[in-house]
Amino acid sequence: MIRRFVGAVGAALGLVAGLWLMLAPVALGTQAAGLDSDWSDPTITEFVSGAVLAVVGLIGLIAFALAIRDEAVRRGLVAGTREVPDPEAGAAPVEPAVRDVAASEDERVADLLTPLVRALAEDLNGPRNGAHQRGGEYR
Amino acid sequence: MSGRTKLGVTCLVVLLLGGMWLVAAPFVVGYQPLDKPWSDAIRNDVITGATLAGISFVALAVYTGDLLRELTRRGKER
Repeated sequence: MIRRFVGAVGAALGLVAGLWLMLAPVALGTQAAGLDSDWSDPTITEFVSGAVLAVVGLIGLIAFALAIRDEAVRRGLVAGTREVPDPEAGAAPVEPAVRDVAASEDERVADLLTPLVRALAEDLNGPRNGAHQRGGEYR
Repeated sequence: MSGRTKLGVTCLVVLLLGGMWLVAAPFVVGYQPLDKPWSDAIRNDVITGATLAGISFVALAVYTGDLLRELTRRGKER
């Protein structure tokens, strides 16, 4: 959750920076205040750039705030109207019945493979292998 | 990563690019020659843009680092 919080703080500071860019020409005195004064090209550019950055920062702040809320609901920290699945957990949670079928399938495969592996181990470590290494006949 | 988080990260990337543009714009557009002293407006643009780009970069770095840490933790649990 901390990364979403850091993202929200960054977006909020972007919003503040955008608002400052909109106000700066008047605040710094490079542009006369008032609606009747004509704005110079740099003032218009700065105002529009600030507005765009402020809107982007606001969208990011709202998006991260909603993501934090979803995470809080998923963890049970906040009562939510619906259960939010963890999008970073990969696949959806497995139903118990499906999990049981998968477990029994694994056990059956293990039952089939265990004698085979045991026979292979005996074959590799058994006396016939030793006879073969000593030059004996192997059939 | 949910859609909301993706949107937030995209906004941070846009803020980073916007801050970098604010720093570079006076020189790219030609408002400010390199050999002349800076006006107050140019200084404000450069400082604001650098601050914005720095904040966005740090936020993105922290986000990426924490995401990688969580992925590593989940990989060890499996």
